[in-house]
Amino acid sequence: MYPGSCFGRKGDNVTEEKSKYIIVGASAAGMAAAHTIRLHDRQGSVTVLSEEPDTPYFRPLIPFVVSGKKRAEDMVLSGCGPYTGRDIFVRTEARVESVNTAEKTVSVQGSGVLAYEKILFATGSRPYIPPEIKGTDTKGVFALRTLAHARNMAKRVKTSDHAVMLGGGLLNLKAAFALLERGLKVTLVVYSPEVLSQLMEPEDAFLIRKAMDTAGLKIKTGCAATHIISEHTGVTGVALDHGGEMSCRMVCIGKGVRPNVEFLNGTNVWIDGGIVTDRYTACSAPDAFAAGDVAVTFKPGSGDRIMTALWTNAVEMGRCAGRNMAGVKTAYSGTLGILNATQVAEEPFVSMGVVHTKDRDFEVYRHATDTTYRKVVFNPQGTRLMGAVFIGDITNAGLYRYVIRGKMPVMHIKRYIMDHTLHYGHVMTGKM
Amino acid sequence: MSQPKEIFVKTHRCVGCLSCTIACAVEHSKSKTLFGAISETPVPKSRVYVQWVEPDGKVPLVCRHCEDAPCMYACISGAISRDENGVVITDTDKCIGCWTCVMVCPYGVIGRHLEEHKAYRCDRCPDREIPACVSACPTGALVYDTVDSFSAKVRNHVSRELLRAERG
Repeated sequence: MYPGSCFGRKGDNVTEEKSKYIIVGASAAGMAAAHTIRLHDRQGSVTVLSEEPDTPYFRPLIPFVVSGKKRAEDMVLSGCGPYTGRDIFVRTEARVESVNTAEKTVSVQGSGVLAYEKILFATGSRPYIPPEIKGTDTKGVFALRTLAHARNMAKRVKTSDHAVMLGGGLLNLKAAFALLERGLKVTLVVYSPEVLSQLMEPEDAFLIRKAMDTAGLKIKTGCAATHIISEHTGVTGVALDHGGEMSCRMVCIGKGVRPNVEFLNGTNVWIDGGIVTDRYTACSAPDAFAAGDVAVTFKPGSGDRIMTALWTNAVEMGRCAGRNMAGVKTAYSGTLGILNATQVAEEPFVSMGVVHTKDRDFEVYRHATDTTYRKVVFNPQGTRLMGAVFIGDITNAGLYRYVIRGKMPVMHIKRYIMDHTLHYGHVMTGKM
Repeated sequence: MSQPKEIFVKTHRCVGCLSCTIACAVEHSKSKTLFGAISETPVPKSRVYVQWVEPDGKVPLVCRHCEDAPCMYACISGAISRDENGVVITDTDKCIGCWTCVMVCPYGVIGRHLEEHKAYRCDRCPDREIPACVSACPTGALVYDTVDSFSAKVRNHVSRELLRAERG
């Protein structure tokens, strides 16, 4: 046992519980930070506070609990991948009510006050439930975010035959496919003209749309739900803005997320949408840092402020925060606002950087075949790669990301980029 | 612990014969023989790639098992870890085929196994003393060595070249 790791065990001469490092939130950013701290500080006590009842898990896997393909115990984070640090104390069902940044303490619901030397706010985000949709507070209406939500959703499947998904984002699509796998009829209601509107433009999405149609997903675009119809057993239908109604026993809302910042109300921590961080992931209070969905960070190069809700970004930022907390000063390199890879139905795709080009001044190159589609976006001068969408064939996507992120001059490799033949051999032989 | 060996690439020696890719696929087949491998379904996959760079460059590319492996940190399912020999391993059971690793690997050496819907990569041939690609390379373009030993040989070579140049 390391000295100072007595957190949670009250000694006679200890008047206040204390942990050198306190991390609020036990998902991607929080756990990445905790394990990174342990790499650089083998002694200091690291305590992670999670309001969830489950020990940390890989959140992106929760749709598999709905589909029944994975059990919760297959998704446990500790001990997997890079999360192998020792003596990291995770307290579940420990909701932080407030923080006193002057005295450097946090107040945990039901278990008193804890002191810290360094703190990380990694409280993440929660689903946004649009207030214009009435009647959402009833049984059978879900917004998939936690393992607990996934379990409840899986239970509801047994008494449902039709599920209506509100929102055409990636998480809702994954939930939709999980429900399809369980044999439900699934209808996706999307306000935008096409699915995945955050990650690509409507004309980029045709192959994905085709794959979704083939998979049996029903899609209604350009319409929105106005209210949820329910009775004592829960939801029985959804009313739509053009006057129609759909009967269903299950609704899943995927309308984006909002950062969990309320616990910092009344503190001097600068909040502008989320917690504003500097280049070193520090926020405006002393010895306090922020990472993940809750943090406002910046794009590389331009420095524009952005928030992202992506596992990969959260891990990267959490690792950077962990180093800074352990005294290894490290600048965060910033992140692309869009950075997604996945597979929808049988169609793999990658979307990164600038992908929305309509009415904007970019040089855009598109190429489509029966099974593949790509769009590469250059700056107006055509000298730098700004973004890319690859559907069907995502070969070497990582190298394109490297070129985008590094803002490399591309004139001499542009042909390869447009033909999707760029490979690392071009780097090794000095072509770029 | 002795320093682990790595696969080094001498691009100037590669003639693009693709012996490495065949040996790799065979090593990762069920039968582990060439004739067995070509008749297997799914077709065994090579984890080493030889890229062509015009006008006549050939560049073998293989997983670097990066010290700060982006794929391992980006993986959203905990499928990628590093073993005690420093080899970055993809656990096929845990892999969900989301391709996040493909999106972050700059070398482009993580393959997509379409039949199994899993990512695959170089595992440095755990059952062999020398990886199959290195054994198969007829020109010495692939070298299996420790960093210290390999760099010492490079220094040695350069020193000899310099001396030769000085002496005319």
